[in-house]
Amino acid sequence: MRTHLAVNSHMLGRPWGLPILRRALPFLPVLLMLAQTLCAQQAEAPPAADSPTIQELLQRIADLELKVKKVDQLEARVKQLEGEKQLHTSPQPGASPSSAAAPTPAPAQTAAPAQAAAQTVVQTATPPQKEKEPDQQADHAVPERMDMSNTLLRIRGFGDINLHGDNQRGDTTSFSLGQLNLFVTSDISEKFKFLSEIIFEGGPDNIYGVTTGERNAFGVDVERFLIEYSYNDYFKVAAGRWHTAIGYYNTAYHHSTWFQTTTDRPFLFNFEDRGGILPIHTVGLSASGMIPSGRLGLHYVAEVGNGRASRTPLTEEPVQNVIDEENHKAYNLAIFARPEAVRGLQVGFSFYRDLLAPANTPSVNENILASHAVFVRKSFEWLNEAMVIRHALVGTTRTFNTPGFYSQVSKQFGSLRPYFRYQYVNSSNTEPIFPDVGLRHGPSIGLRYDASEFVALKVQYDYTALRQQAAVNALGLQIGFTF
Amino acid sequence: MAGFICVLASAVLLPGVFLRGALERPAFPPEEHPGERNLAIVVNTSNPVNNLSTAELRRVFLGARGHWPNGHRITLVMLEAGWPERAAVLNSIYQMNETDFNNHFLHGLFTGEVFVSPKTLATPEGVRKFIFNVPGAIGYLRESDVDKTIKIIRIDERLPDDKGYKFHLLPR
Repeated sequence: MRTHLAVNSHMLGRPWGLPILRRALPFLPVLLMLAQTLCAQQAEAPPAADSPTIQELLQRIADLELKVKKVDQLEARVKQLEGEKQLHTSPQPGASPSSAAAPTPAPAQTAAPAQAAAQTVVQTATPPQKEKEPDQQADHAVPERMDMSNTLLRIRGFGDINLHGDNQRGDTTSFSLGQLNLFVTSDISEKFKFLSEIIFEGGPDNIYGVTTGERNAFGVDVERFLIEYSYNDYFKVAAGRWHTAIGYYNTAYHHSTWFQTTTDRPFLFNFEDRGGILPIHTVGLSASGMIPSGRLGLHYVAEVGNGRASRTPLTEEPVQNVIDEENHKAYNLAIFARPEAVRGLQVGFSFYRDLLAPANTPSVNENILASHAVFVRKSFEWLNEAMVIRHALVGTTRTFNTPGFYSQVSKQFGSLRPYFRYQYVNSSNTEPIFPDVGLRHGPSIGLRYDASEFVALKVQYDYTALRQQAAVNALGLQIGFTF
Repeated sequence: MAGFICVLASAVLLPGVFLRGALERPAFPPEEHPGERNLAIVVNTSNPVNNLSTAELRRVFLGARGHWPNGHRITLVMLEAGWPERAAVLNSIYQMNETDFNNHFLHGLFTGEVFVSPKTLATPEGVRKFIFNVPGAIGYLRESDVDKTIKIIRIDERLPDDKGYKFHLLPR
């Protein structure tokens, strides 16, 4: 119709149209009368008297109606075939019901009883009822339950490959395979969830400066392995191995370089087997949730676990996965706020306490106080964390405080994200747990380029000043990705 | 002269005929009817929640809230990418594009802050049936796609037809 109108308007707009119209204006009343007469005749006239255009349109409508009928027939046939297929593939009564084929009543006129039945299916996974319409069975896919025929196991992968060189004595410029991370989750039920990070990683371990293992061999670490029960938003409890809620970075990026802006973690948050000084992982029990606080957005995390191994020399796994050295347990409490008023802001603190038992020395009380203030939005991030690791020898007055902080800022410009980080750690040379750390501080500057939605290329330069040693200049390239 | 009158009569008549036809049609083409443009936030009829503030709705859709007051886990239902309803939700509730949306949930699941990822369905009919079947489900549909098997909740005390309601399909 719009086309016709346009054509008519166009015709009136032709150069020869206006003079004719001007001359015809005196005859307009007569024409209008004629038009009314013709309209009246048109209403009574049979279709055969319509113009060819209208006849053509009517013919097209008839053709379309015919096609619609054919489509309806085909749809009905498809539904019938799907129903037959569904009947053939439905498990037998008594067998584990497949959630993908969970039979549920149609949301038709019998809404109330149908819904009650549907809820029963979701909550108790009753066996399929064959009397239901096949097409209804095919329509409802509610994969909310786990059973033996449908594990609901989800795997997401992360990885990185690096080229790194520096001027430190003994180091060589090398291509290196980073961590291959298989992030596996499963919704076991409405309240239970399983989560793990399985890491394939090459190279030797470095535990408090002690290097062990083969230089080019690959090993497997289960870095996270926990089952979580979520009662409500205010109380979740998890058991297994997780990243200790000290500060922000440790629970924000885990083992994925693709998520983090930089090529590496701040030195404070290095993993235990990569020279890190924090108990990055804990094996035990954790409770977390929201604290009713309105727009302040308070959250808590309370953890109890084995803590870290401390017998020296450490040549084995620093995370006490199976056997704790002591009966004493490590505790950690973290509180943080995400105020609604400033989207992207998170501020918080945590307190960690453990009793370490190094060999041939007095036990060590370990207290870690950490605080953070981060502001993370899509195009801008500013991370700030500071902490003090306090080691006190039991039975003496000797204490060792190791302060550290880092600040990182980055800004997104399209696919490019330049960033800057400054970090600082100052540990005593006689520190009883990590005497190798000493003082190290310096800036890092880099550029992240998101080559695609799931691939990031990064280049980073680090300058690290050391106590009583030459400073280290390092350059690293990295490709980090998720798959 | 007779031919000229016929031509001129056609020029006057034909638009009249077509305009008359147009006046007999609804004021909006099918896709422009208000019910088609309003985006309703819908839940299972057993859900005790009848109203959410915009901020609460955003928290629910972001996965920051994982449970309803009655204890049921919140299951967010999304339409596949390409549906105008999804585009409207990404724009008005998430204020994100598709990439940011995917990254948000990927990161949320990775950190454990999001308990479950959204369920993505292919059609509004599928969304309606899923919400009908799952007590904790929440999703969105055009108001005209909603029937009595599911429940529309108020947002800031407003229903889709109310003045000041915020969620509509994006103008094309």
